[in-house]
Amino acid sequence: MKFSRRTTMAIAVVGALALGSTLGACSSDDSSSGDSGSTTLDPNTKVTLNVVGLLPGAKPEAQQALADEVADFQKENPNITVKTHDYEWKATTFAADLAGGTLPSVFEIPFTDAKTLIANAQIADMQAYLTQLAYASNFNKNLLQYGQGSDGHVYAIPAKSIYAIGLHYNRDLFTQAGLDPNKPPTTWEEVRTAAKAIAEKTGQAGFAQMSKDGTGGWQLTVDTYSRGGRMEDGKKATLTNDATKASLQFLKDLRWTDNSMGANFSYDWSGINQAFAAGKIGMYTSGQDVYTSLVQTNNINPKSYGLTMIPLSGGESGVLGGGTMAAVSSKASNNEKAAAVKWIDYHYLRKYTNEGAAKKNAEIQVASKQPVGTPELPIFTQQQYQQYQDWIKTYVNVPLDQMTTFTSKVFDAKLVNEPAIATQDVYKALDTAVQAVLTDKNANIDQLLTEANAKAQRAIDAAG
Amino acid sequence: MSALGAPRGTGDATGARGNHRPATSGRPRRRDPMTWVQRGGLSSIVFALPLLVIFGVFSWWPIVRSVVMSFQKTNLVGTPKWVGWHNFQYVLTDPDLPTAIRNTLYFALLALVIGFPVPLVTAVLISSVRKRKGLYSALAYLPVVVPPVVAVLLWKFFYDGSADGVFNTILDWVGLGPYTWLSSPSLAMPSLVVEATWAAAGGTVIIYLAALISVPDELYDAAEVDGAGVWRKVWHVAMPQLRGVLLITFILQIIGTVQVFLEPYLFTGGGPANATLTILLMIYNYGFGSSLGGNYGAATALSVMLAAFLAILSLVYFKLTSGWSKS
Amino acid sequence: MTGQKGTTMTVTSPARPPAGEATPAGAVRVARPVRKPKASHFDGSRGFVSDQDWRNPRVSVTMKLLHWTLLALLLVVGIGPMLLLAKYAITPTQDIIRTPLAVFPHGVRWENVSEAWNDVQISRYFLNTIWLAAGSWFVQLLVATTGGFVLSVLRPAWAKIVHGLVIATLFVPSVVLLVPLYLTILNPPGIGTSLINSFFAVWLPSGASAFNVVIVTRFFDSLPREVFEAAKVDGASSFRLFWSVVLPMSKPILGVVSVFAAIASWKDFLWPMLVLKDQAKQPLSVRLPAIAQQTDLGVFLASLAISTLIPVVFFLIFQRLFLSSAGLGGAVKG
Repeated sequence: MKFSRRTTMAIAVVGALALGSTLGACSSDDSSSGDSGSTTLDPNTKVTLNVVGLLPGAKPEAQQALADEVADFQKENPNITVKTHDYEWKATTFAADLAGGTLPSVFEIPFTDAKTLIANAQIADMQAYLTQLAYASNFNKNLLQYGQGSDGHVYAIPAKSIYAIGLHYNRDLFTQAGLDPNKPPTTWEEVRTAAKAIAEKTGQAGFAQMSKDGTGGWQLTVDTYSRGGRMEDGKKATLTNDATKASLQFLKDLRWTDNSMGANFSYDWSGINQAFAAGKIGMYTSGQDVYTSLVQTNNINPKSYGLTMIPLSGGESGVLGGGTMAAVSSKASNNEKAAAVKWIDYHYLRKYTNEGAAKKNAEIQVASKQPVGTPELPIFTQQQYQQYQDWIKTYVNVPLDQMTTFTSKVFDAKLVNEPAIATQDVYKALDTAVQAVLTDKNANIDQLLTEANAKAQRAIDAAG
Repeated sequence: MSALGAPRGTGDATGARGNHRPATSGRPRRRDPMTWVQRGGLSSIVFALPLLVIFGVFSWWPIVRSVVMSFQKTNLVGTPKWVGWHNFQYVLTDPDLPTAIRNTLYFALLALVIGFPVPLVTAVLISSVRKRKGLYSALAYLPVVVPPVVAVLLWKFFYDGSADGVFNTILDWVGLGPYTWLSSPSLAMPSLVVEATWAAAGGTVIIYLAALISVPDELYDAAEVDGAGVWRKVWHVAMPQLRGVLLITFILQIIGTVQVFLEPYLFTGGGPANATLTILLMIYNYGFGSSLGGNYGAATALSVMLAAFLAILSLVYFKLTSGWSKS
Repeated sequence: MTGQKGTTMTVTSPARPPAGEATPAGAVRVARPVRKPKASHFDGSRGFVSDQDWRNPRVSVTMKLLHWTLLALLLVVGIGPMLLLAKYAITPTQDIIRTPLAVFPHGVRWENVSEAWNDVQISRYFLNTIWLAAGSWFVQLLVATTGGFVLSVLRPAWAKIVHGLVIATLFVPSVVLLVPLYLTILNPPGIGTSLINSFFAVWLPSGASAFNVVIVTRFFDSLPREVFEAAKVDGASSFRLFWSVVLPMSKPILGVVSVFAAIASWKDFLWPMLVLKDQAKQPLSVRLPAIAQQTDLGVFLASLAISTLIPVVFFLIFQRLFLSSAGLGGAVKG
C-alpha cells in the first residue's frame, strides 16, 4: 500500500480536477464521470461497503430514513452495495471491535482518538481519496488537523456532530417548578436554584451529570472550561486546578446540600439521554446536537425540549467543543476506500456544500419525521453553514425557537478543544472523582483530584 | 441398564488393579513402525487428535503465550517488542491495583460471611425434614436455574435507588431507607454479594444436603446411645462428617470469588468511584477497556500474577484433599 | 469461558474422596445417583432427628417451627423474585416504575410480551443460546470421550505426559487465557481467517476442559478391563472398542458431562461477549445487557421473564436430573 502512495497521489490530483466541476454542479452525475484512475472506484467491480448506521435501538422511522438514503446512494452508485450496522461509539468497547476486525469499513470516532489510531496504523490514509471531493480544501482547519497524521495526510475526516457543549433542559419541568422556560439559567448559581426548585416541586432530578465510562471526566472537563480552568498544560496534567475543584464542589452542593440530583448517579451518554427524554431530568450538559438522537432513539416530546448556553465565568472560560470523524479501516481495499469516500461525501458532507443535496437529504429526513436543522457547528466555513441553513429552511422541523438562547450566542463564545494527550485516560481518572462526589457524602475533593491527577499524569507519560 | 451394573460391581477391583497393570496392548515399539501401527499406535494418535488439537490451540499454547506476552509490548499491528519486567512494574505501580485487591478480598470475605452459613443452615434444616425434601430442595435450587445475566439485570432493577425502587419500597414498609444501593460506595459491594449469594447458594445447599444424607445412620444411633440431643447430633456427628465437603467448598469459593467478573461488570462497571473494581475487571479494562487499543502486556502480566496466586491456593487444596484420601 | 471457570477450578482431584466417604472409587460414586430413581433421591435417610426425637414435643415443635419458617423463606427468596418478574412482564411501564409492588393498579399490558418476542426478537437469541450450548456440548463430549479413551484404555507410552499436561491446566485459572485466547481467535493457526463472530470461537475453546477429560478418564479406568481384552481377542478394532463397548458402558458419565456442559454454556457471558460481536449471533446472556438501556422497561422485563421461563420449565420437568447433578457436583468436587 505504501509504495504506491506517490503514484496514487498523482492520479488522485488529476481525478480531483476532473471531478471537481461535475460534483459542484450536479451531485448525481459523479458516478458516471468519477471512476477513472486507481484511487477511484473501478466501475466494473461490485463493492460491498459496510458502514455505521444508527444507534442501537433507533426507532423504525429513523431506520426508514437511513434506508431511503442508502437506496438513493445505491441508485447513484449502482456498483456499490451499502450495508449499515447499528453503532454506538463507547470508550469501553471500541478497541475490542477494532482489534477484532468487527467494525464496519467506515466507522465514526471522536476527534480526540484520531491521532493515536493514525500513529498505530489502524485507520487508512484517505488523503488521495479526499482530494477527489470538490470541497476538500474548504474544511475548517482546526477540525481537519485532528485527523491528520504526522505526514500531513488526512486519515480521519470531520463528518458530523461538530458540537459545543450546551445546557439541555426540560421546559415542562421548568414550568411545573414555577420557572420561566424562556429564561433558562445563565450562571451556575442560577442552575443550582433552578435544580433545587425542580427537585422540590416535581420530585424529578433538577440537574444530572454523566459519570460512567469516561463521560464523567468529559463533563467535568466541560464544567472546568466553563469556569476558566484547563486539564492539561503541555505534557503536564493540571487536574487539581481551582476551576475543577469548584466544579466538583458545585456537584457536591447540589447532591448533598440540596439533594436536587435524583437517585441515579451512574449515567453514561445514552443513559442520561433516555432519562432526560423520559422527563426524569430537569437539566444536563451534553453536545449541542444531542437533540437528534433524543428523537431518533428516545422519542422525546419536542415541546418539552430546551437548549441554552452553558454558564461561563472567569476570564479564560470557554465552551468545550468536539465532534465526530469518519474513518476507514486500514484493512480496507482500494476499491472499498474509493467507495467509502463516496459514502462519506453522500451521507455526511455533501449536504453542507450543495443546495440540491441539502434539500434532498432534508426531504428524506422529513418524510420519515426525522429531525432536520438541529444546530451544529460548521465543518467548513461559517458562511457556508449559514447558507446551508438557508437551503433547508423550509424543511426545518426541530424547535429552533426553543434553542435561541444557545444559537444566538454560541458563535461568540470561545471554543476550547478537549485535552490533547491521553484524553480518554484523563477522563477515566476523573470519572472516579465525579462518582465519588456524587455517591459519597464525605468525599474529599482535594484528595480525589490529587489521586486523579497522578493517574492522568501516568497516562500522559505513557502516551508520550 | 445392565451395562451400568458392570462398572459398579467390578469397578473397585479393576480400578485399583488397572493402575498397576503392566501395559500389554498400547505400548508402541519404536523400532518397528509396522508393529507399532498394528498394535494400535496409530489409532492412539487418531483418538488423541481432538484432545491434542483442542488443548494445544486453546489451552496449552495460550497459557505459554500469556507468559510470553507479559514480557512484551504488542499492539497487534507491528511485531511485539520485548520489554522485560516493564509490564509487571506498570501493573504493580498502578494506583488502582491496591483498590482492586482490597475490593476483591472484600468481595471474597463478604461472600464467605454471607454465602457460607446460609446454605449450611438451610441444608441442615432440609435434611431433617421428614417429607417433601424434594420440594424444599427444588425451591432452594430454583434461583440457580435463572441465567446469571438475567438474575443480575433483574436485581439491578430491584436495587433501583429511588424511593420507588423495589427494595426501597419493601424497606419503606418497615420504616427504613431509601438506600441508594449500587450508587453507594459502602453498599455497592454488599449488594453485589447478596445477589451473587442468592444466585449460587442453591447449588451449595444441594451439595451439603447430599453429603448430610450420606452420613451413616449408625453414627446417629451411636450418638443417641450416648444420650445426645438433636443439637449435639448436628454439632458433633453431622458437622465432622461434613468437614471435608465444607473445606473444599470453602477453598473453591475463594478461588471462584477471586475471579469475580459478571456482577461488578454488569451491576456497576466497577463504580461508584472504584468501589467495586475487582482484579478481573482490571484485567478486562487493560485488555479491552481503552478506546485506543488494549494494553495486552499489562493485562497478561496481571493475569499471570493472579494465576500464580490461585495456583498456590489450588495446590494447597490439592494437598489437603489428597491428605484426606490417604487417612 | 467464565462459565468454564467454575467447573475447571472445581476439579483438582475429583477422584479423591474425603475421609468418611463410603465408596472408594470416585467415578463409580459419581454414577450412582443418576441411576437410582427414588421418590426423591434425598428421601430415605433418617437424618439427625430420630423418631424418638420427633415424639419429644419440645423438639418436634421447634423443628416444625423451623421447617415452616424455612419453607416461607424459601418461597419468598426462591419464587418471590420470579413471581415479581412474571408480574412485571405484563405490567405497564409507568406502573412498574412508580408502584413496583402494587398489583396491577392500571390493568395488564400483554403487549410487553409480544413486543419482547417480536421486536426484541428474544426467540432468535434464545435459538443462538441453544445452538451455542449444543455445539459446546458436542465438542466437549468428543474431546473428553476420545481423550479419555486414549488415556485410560489405549494407554500409549506418551499418555502419561498428555495426562499430566491436561491435569496441569486445572491449576491455571481461565482468566489467564482471556487475552491470549482472544488473540488466538483473532488469528487462529492454520485457518487464516479470524473466528470472531463465528460460533466456533465459543465451541472449540469449550472443549479444552480438563475437568471433563479427568472425570471421563477416571470413569473409564473403573470399567472392567476384561471386557476390553475380550473384545480385542475377538478382533475388534480400536474404533469398534470405543464405539460399541466403551461408549455404551459410559452413559452415566456422559450424562454428567452433558449436564455440566449445558450449564456452563448457559452461564457463559464474558467470552461470547468478546468473540460474538455480531448481534445476530449473540446468545441471550450477551444480548440482554446490550439492549437494557434502549428498551422500554416493561418490554425489557418481559424479555427477562421469557429468558427465565424456559430454563425454569426445563428444571421443573427434569428436576431430579438437575438436583442429582448438582449433588454430584459436590460428590465430584469432594
